[in-house]
Amino acid sequence: MKLSSFRYLVGQGFDNVWKNRVMAFASFCVLLVSLLLVGIAVLFYVNINAIIGGIEDKNEVIVYLSELITDERISALGDELLATDNIASVQLYTKEEAFEDLKADMSDQAIVFESLGDDNPLLDAYRIRVSDISRMDETLSITRNMADVDSVRSPDTFVELLTEVRRVVTIVAVAIIIALLIVSMVIISNTTRASVFSRRREISIMQSVGATKSFIRFPFFIEGMINGFMAGVFATILTWFAYDSLVDLLGRFDVLGTIGLGNVIPFSSIYLLVMVSYIVTGSLIGAFGSVLSTRVHLRYRAANM
Amino acid sequence: MVELKNVSVKYESTGVEALSDVSLKVEDGEFAFVIGRSGAGKSTLIKLLLKELDANSGEVYVNGYNLTKLKKRKVPEFRRTIGVVFQDYRLIDTMTVYENIAFVLRVIDAPKKQIRKRVPYVMSLVGLQDKADCYPSELSGGEQQRCALARALVNDPALLIADEPTGNVDPELAYELVELLQGINACGTTILMVTHAHEMVRHFGGRIINISEGEVVFDEVIGGTEIEAQ
Repeated sequence: MKLSSFRYLVGQGFDNVWKNRVMAFASFCVLLVSLLLVGIAVLFYVNINAIIGGIEDKNEVIVYLSELITDERISALGDELLATDNIASVQLYTKEEAFEDLKADMSDQAIVFESLGDDNPLLDAYRIRVSDISRMDETLSITRNMADVDSVRSPDTFVELLTEVRRVVTIVAVAIIIALLIVSMVIISNTTRASVFSRRREISIMQSVGATKSFIRFPFFIEGMINGFMAGVFATILTWFAYDSLVDLLGRFDVLGTIGLGNVIPFSSIYLLVMVSYIVTGSLIGAFGSVLSTRVHLRYRAANM
Repeated sequence: MVELKNVSVKYESTGVEALSDVSLKVEDGEFAFVIGRSGAGKSTLIKLLLKELDANSGEVYVNGYNLTKLKKRKVPEFRRTIGVVFQDYRLIDTMTVYENIAFVLRVIDAPKKQIRKRVPYVMSLVGLQDKADCYPSELSGGEQQRCALARALVNDPALLIADEPTGNVDPELAYELVELLQGINACGTTILMVTHAHEMVRHFGGRIINISEGEVVFDEVIGGTEIEAQ
């Protein structure tokens, strides 16, 4: 194809958006709604995941060390723990620190501590955080069997609950996203087919004067891409507005903070990803949806001529 | 050149045999009228010549292409050698007169210079030079038909097929249109004109191919009343 023909066909694609504005608007709306449905579902999932991840970060396991452990061994055990798979961080919590914290927490029962004098009944410990909460049992088992480890304390029920919540949220979110994708594809496919069908006369005229299939399809490709691009831009703007309003509302009443959560991702840190995803997805679906519908139409015509 | 050798076409869906063992030959530079009643097989003949339809048996040759063996990907290339004028004009509503005519040249990747030169020329040939920026909906029936004719001519085709081109225009314009076609034929273009207007055919005379119930029942050259009057 010559450059002049390429430019002509690109120009035709742009012209056709205006000339067929009713169908173009219908395609734009369908693409916009589909992008918003899927995009918002994905954003919900990402945020719920981030919130659960935030709770996981707060989750801490205490590894109590043997009473007679030496300072050298404490240091070596720290390295050993850090080198263990699934342990993200290790922090020494000496028995002196623990005793001071306990005293502070139980300041109203100072008499108990007075009776102890300088005796510290507590044990040195390591505070550890795991990378993957679902593998908590496996990590605890390894930790318990280490030499000079007295005992290990972990919030088992909480971990189980979090793991279960994440599993359910993932299944539900993925199912919703897949369902929305399928519904969107069906609606988009029908709209583009209707758009192509409404121009069947134009297509048949082009064929009768010797236009090749690619020559006929190319302006439809450009048209679809323009519609998809515009839908992507509008979806970004609407999502931005809705997302920021929601974050603002949650922040104003400190809804998440009140229930111990606070990890909603600010839109400013994801807007580029959201915008690129919307625009690229919209443009690709628009362009290839149109081309596919035109291809199906041309094949149908060829079979029924 | 157009040649049909023992061609039969049967529509599978209805079982109707639209053409039955038809053989005919139209030489380069000829002007032939194809006449016949509705349902006689004229439209089937045109679809066959445009490769919109395949024959069940026999062979079809148009402009050096054997349509019976023509591959699908070669069909656009073949169609560019033919100009077609349809009864319903078949102009693209969203394009201006100029764009409708130029489209045929754009399809063949013609240089801009050639488009700028050739399109105004054929527009003046059919008397539409002042309607370049009009859309088909802004034209009268006769003007739309002339636009369709200009589009068929712009590529300088070896064969021009006119499917009832006078069907939607008044008699005066119809005669003008045939005279225009005769002028084009005089320049060497083969013309096959399908029509219902028997009186007009008698007026102009020439080669008449009469199709009835899928068969060629008459194929002769007659003298026109126009010539007799002279």
